[in-house]
Amino acid sequence: MNDILLKIEDLHASVGDKEILKGINLEIRQGEIHAVMGPNGAGKSTLSAVLAGKPQFQVTSGKITFMGEDLLAMSPEQRSWAGIFLSFQYPVEIPGVSITNFMKTAVNCRREAQGLEPMKAGEFLKLMNEKMNFVKMKTEFAKRDVNVGFSGGEKKRNEIFQMAMLDPVLSILDETDSGLDVDALRIVASGVNALHTPQKASIVITHYQRLLEYIVPDVVHILKDGKIIKTAGRELVAQIEEKGYESFSNE
Amino acid sequence: MSENHKIYIIGKDTLPERVSVEAGQSLNLTMVVLPGVSCDESLQVELVGQGASVDIGGLYLCQDNERVRLSVDLVHKVGSCRSDQLFKGVVGGSAKAEFSGKITVVQDAQKTQAFQNSHSLLLGESATAQTSPQLEIYADDVQCSHGATVGKLDEDEQFYMRSRGITLTQARFLQVISFVAPVMERIPQGELKDSLMTLIEDAVSKLI
Repeated sequence: MNDILLKIEDLHASVGDKEILKGINLEIRQGEIHAVMGPNGAGKSTLSAVLAGKPQFQVTSGKITFMGEDLLAMSPEQRSWAGIFLSFQYPVEIPGVSITNFMKTAVNCRREAQGLEPMKAGEFLKLMNEKMNFVKMKTEFAKRDVNVGFSGGEKKRNEIFQMAMLDPVLSILDETDSGLDVDALRIVASGVNALHTPQKASIVITHYQRLLEYIVPDVVHILKDGKIIKTAGRELVAQIEEKGYESFSNE
Repeated sequence: MSENHKIYIIGKDTLPERVSVEAGQSLNLTMVVLPGVSCDESLQVELVGQGASVDIGGLYLCQDNERVRLSVDLVHKVGSCRSDQLFKGVVGGSAKAEFSGKITVVQDAQKTQAFQNSHSLLLGESATAQTSPQLEIYADDVQCSHGATVGKLDEDEQFYMRSRGITLTQARFLQVISFVAPVMERIPQGELKDSLMTLIEDAVSKLI
């Protein structure tokens, strides 16, 4: 068996007084693609936010281990340096900060943390161009402010571009399919597939079957009311589509 | 953008108390208050000839227990002139900053265009910023507007940046620099602008 990348044990998390995750257990190994499906309000986005370290969520109990390290002890930026990437459901607009400046800062912050010199300007621009082409993003976007005035599809493409730039070990795609037309969905999915290697893993969080036709999961989980109530192979996707989430209850 | 743009660094350069702008002339200036300076500065500007034009930028960066007060009293004395003011303040520590901007458009000053915007960013829990715009318009065919905001750094932006590996300090730096950028964009390219930008970047690194 391949090495375990991520292990979540009895994870409870809240926003304010409201408990949203009520005991999550999950184990992800190298090379695996996991789908987390579930109805609205099940806690899917909370799970992704907690993995990325969003300060507004409090982990009240449980443990997350990423590549042998205690993930909960790390800041969001340390998690990124360790190889975690979250593709946001609603990518944030940052007026006044260009994509180039944003990515340059991101790449060089990581290099600094690793004790490396900043990347040379020429090398950086070459990398940007290469990764923008990879997600079929026009290079003019490099000068634009991060996500400002982008369409839904452009924002998601920008997420996958950033993922390609940072080359994460574990990618978490939070509702990456929402707001995408079929063409944009194909570009995004083929980007994700092309970045996948036997050493890496992905968590695909989605509501619908649609994205999973393009990114084929190895393991499928149903998250409902803050708990994973069923885990099975990819055949589960068709069952959900057929019967709906209603038919699955805590086993 | 005019070639004769002037930059006044308060505490180092002396801001004129009163400026009259004649027909067809233009006044372009940026006043800057860097950390380490407490001040109470006022500028009076009169547009006295048709076609006169005024662009004023203001930037104040305050820390610790500094007190910064800037006021501009601008009078459109004749018609067909324009004025545009943009002030941005970054207030940290327990500093107090105040901007007061008064625009008067006299009765016969038709076809006046007068704009004023003042925005401040509070970095510390005990920092305060106050902005008091005042418009007195006696002419009826004018285009005037003012806007004022006081805000804090956006946490969703910070989390987004940190999730890409940008440290919290760098994220805050990018946020503050992008906040002050619109004032810097009004300054023509050149050595003066570059050296001011360096001063501001140094000041911002210390403020955050």
